[in-house]
Amino acid sequence: MDELERAQSSLGRALGRARAGEDRELAQRVREGGENLVQLVAGLLKLTRIHSPDNQAFDAPVAELTRVLATLGEALGPVNLVTVEDQVYLNDIRVRIDSRPGAGGLGAELQRHNTGGLLFHSPLTGPQVRTLVKGLASPPAAEWPRGTLSQWLLDQGLDAVELLGIYRFQATRSERAPPPRTPEQLLQLLLELVSESWNHLAAGRVLNPLPMRRALVEALALGLDAPAFWLGVPDAPPHATHAVEVAMVALLVGRRAGFPAGLLQDLGIAGLVHDVGYLSPAVGEGPAALGRHPVEGARLLLRQRGYSEAKLRRLRGVMEHHRDQVDPQGPPSAGGAALRLSEDYANVIRLYGAKVTRADALGAMLKASGRLYHPALAQTLVNALGRHPPGTLVELADGGLGRVAAPARDQARWDKPLVKRLDPATRLAIGPMVDTALDGAVRRALPG
Amino acid sequence: MAQPMPPRGGPPNQDGSAAPLATSGPGAVAAQFAASLSKAARSFTLYAPTNAVVRQFLADYQARAAAATASADLVLDVQPFELLRQGEAVYRESDRERSLAFRLFRDGVRRLTFRTGVPWGELLAFLEILAVRYVGVRQQEEDVITLLRKGEFKGIGFEAVEGFAPEEDNPEPERARRARRAGRGPPAGFDTPFPLLPPPGPIAWRDVPVEALASLQASEGPEDLAAGALRLAGLLLAEAERGLVPLREVLGLLIELRDAFIADAALAPLAELAELAGRLPAGPLRDELIRSLGDPRLLDAVLAAVPPGSTRLPSEALRLVPLVTAQAALDLLASEGDAGRRQVLALVAEARLPADAGAIVERLATLDARVARPLFNAITTRAPAFTAQAALALLDHADENLQVASLQILGSAGGEVPVQRVLRLLDSPREPVRIGVANLLARSGKAAAFQSVHDALVGRKGCSFAEADALGSALARLDPGRAEAVVAEWLKPRRGLLKAFSGSRQDDALRAAGASALAAHPAPEALARLEALAKEADDDALRRHCLAMLARCRHQGARHG
Repeated sequence: MDELERAQSSLGRALGRARAGEDRELAQRVREGGENLVQLVAGLLKLTRIHSPDNQAFDAPVAELTRVLATLGEALGPVNLVTVEDQVYLNDIRVRIDSRPGAGGLGAELQRHNTGGLLFHSPLTGPQVRTLVKGLASPPAAEWPRGTLSQWLLDQGLDAVELLGIYRFQATRSERAPPPRTPEQLLQLLLELVSESWNHLAAGRVLNPLPMRRALVEALALGLDAPAFWLGVPDAPPHATHAVEVAMVALLVGRRAGFPAGLLQDLGIAGLVHDVGYLSPAVGEGPAALGRHPVEGARLLLRQRGYSEAKLRRLRGVMEHHRDQVDPQGPPSAGGAALRLSEDYANVIRLYGAKVTRADALGAMLKASGRLYHPALAQTLVNALGRHPPGTLVELADGGLGRVAAPARDQARWDKPLVKRLDPATRLAIGPMVDTALDGAVRRALPG
Repeated sequence: MAQPMPPRGGPPNQDGSAAPLATSGPGAVAAQFAASLSKAARSFTLYAPTNAVVRQFLADYQARAAAATASADLVLDVQPFELLRQGEAVYRESDRERSLAFRLFRDGVRRLTFRTGVPWGELLAFLEILAVRYVGVRQQEEDVITLLRKGEFKGIGFEAVEGFAPEEDNPEPERARRARRAGRGPPAGFDTPFPLLPPPGPIAWRDVPVEALASLQASEGPEDLAAGALRLAGLLLAEAERGLVPLREVLGLLIELRDAFIADAALAPLAELAELAGRLPAGPLRDELIRSLGDPRLLDAVLAAVPPGSTRLPSEALRLVPLVTAQAALDLLASEGDAGRRQVLALVAEARLPADAGAIVERLATLDARVARPLFNAITTRAPAFTAQAALALLDHADENLQVASLQILGSAGGEVPVQRVLRLLDSPREPVRIGVANLLARSGKAAAFQSVHDALVGRKGCSFAEADALGSALARLDPGRAEAVVAEWLKPRRGLLKAFSGSRQDDALRAAGASALAAHPAPEALARLEALAKEADDDALRRHCLAMLARCRHQGARHG
């Protein structure tokens, strides 16, 4: 086999994996379904010039549109229709509309509402289709037409359709690269993405991991020791805070354990979504919910179609994130083990942090390693977090209070953390960061 | 408001026309490279990876890359629909679906650098990223940036706008989006009860031996990916078996795994997947799973595992049999020229018994006799309920021996004889088949077949005594009354001139048939007439035949008491 033949074989395998689970006609079916979708939406909008959307004349096309959307949704998950003047794309596949009478007018109809596309998160019922058509056919608001229509659709209970803006991709336009996000902004973004993902999954939609992956790539590039990642956001939803904490601890331990870039990204996403199983109505309460939510989480994530290593890792991580190291069915995957450790650490702090110091919590977990946790990972976590893990309330040598702001920087400074000084009365952050490796020292750690 | 659209022909010149692509010098070399990259990446949407055209595109890409990076790094700036080298357009495509530049730009890539001496392995990995982005329809997991970062390239650099979101024409406040945010969370008390931990111990920095983490890292490496995937499949199937997860929710993933293993020609994981399904308790769940996982492409994997020249099915391939359909094997068999592979395919089909007996029966008549015979034999032993159906199917086979065998099986099966289907074989050019049909019809006792048998006998030229015997016996059993009349005519003594002109071979056959009819006739006096005929017969052949018939009658009489 020569070099080119090997290349063909290797590419063939990669493409085969990328297409795994797709039947060979999927792209063609999407193209045809897209043509139908565009023609139906455009046709329904035209029909509103003659009839009201609740007229019987709408029955057949509405039923057909419902069917087409269901078919496309089954194949693709979210259905993303984008119009660019005389071109239409469905999930990046060009839809040929030349032969479809009336279909070419859809772009112009959407533009009236400052809208360039429609994102269908899930199939629509007949009444929902009528609502959408009614909204699109109505006169646009003078100010913020897209936002106004979006709000109206939400008010009608239709949250499965998102109106997309009109995007520029013009060669002549000079692009101004956005400044890099600060750790605070990135943390905020991660929290928002978690909340949005929970909401999407609760509404029956499919997880979209790509925005999370992008944000995590940024976080990994920025470095995980930024204080913003470890000092929390007071007004964030608790489940989002918990998810980000678990993801951050998992990334920290994964990076220190030498996990490669791809695995780290996958681990981070798994950390962000590990508890989504609690959304399931079947999850129950109390101990039953604890036992059942991993598999319910996997069920929600299984909605995402298409083969990828990342999805497999995520599913295993979610399914095994409460699995003991000595489980009779075998230990969890590397991702599952890292999540188990990170989740328990986050939980022990969340549940008992007022009574025990973080170091003591870590010490108890370390003693349970081998039984509950992967022993090498547990020690890696200790090394990574430090003698005074981030978030620890400490009394400084000068008698002042502070909170540890970052994980251990290295072995030499393992017990000499960066500390954010606190106002003793309000316990709010004051003043500059104290680097105890250079100045001052931690007298003792406190619970809380 | 005018909707923005991609440039038709690139950035306009002052007169509004599109600037031409570089045509000379390093710019032209870069343009050739960009074109070759784009063509190679898109080629997989049109051709199979093994196609000769793809090979040609790859060779071109390799050569152009070498030329473009021979003396210096090649730096390409990414615009929405163009690639620029030092400000000069070297690639332009305005169709978003086709445009390499658009895909890179939209994912946030702003500059690509191909360094001098970039290894072919990296060029190939880069091409793979683009090709996957072109062919994949479901792309929610990765984009070019995340894939490039995972690739950890040395010879290819890139600059990207992290978190790039395209700028809108008329941005609006995000009030609708915000309204959606108040959302669902876990119930109070989630993740409790917390596991019981021992009293805290001291913590200290301790070096973690590399080897202690090595196995953990390896478990997520490419070599162990299949094992991990199978473990996940096992976990989910266990939950499906417990009734906690509907099978239909798991099926999609299992099919994706199957396809990925097929793409990797990974026979062992495929076999393990088959066994996972097979380990489920017998019932609708298992049947549905096995049916859903079945795919003709699995056969390629099975065949690939057969060493050249071998006619045996390797044990690993046998494990895959539950996921392969006999129909697929027989489809391939129809066009397979290699004898060894034909044998293997037949073994695969045979291994699918009894589940696929119906599908095999459907094909039996069209299969080569060397394949059809062992399959037929296998059906009789492993799917006996399909024996009669298989025998019936073989009536249409071109092979005489198979037809005879099937007639015998039908005769001994004791079921309803398909008279109409059998009758046409009375015209078979092969005597053993005709005899077999006569014997089968005789057993059927269907009077409606009498005339056809009669006509076949009377119309046959050069009929042997053996065939005449079978047909005559059949006539007596099908309709004794009518048989008596025609036999009387055939056996009428020949005298005078008639005797001189008779004695043709056909007459002899009819007389022999008449004797056989008497032997088979149920009337008590028929035997006496046969004895008389034996005494009176004026030619030796007929006499010997009559005596043989009498001996048969005695033998049968003894057998039946």
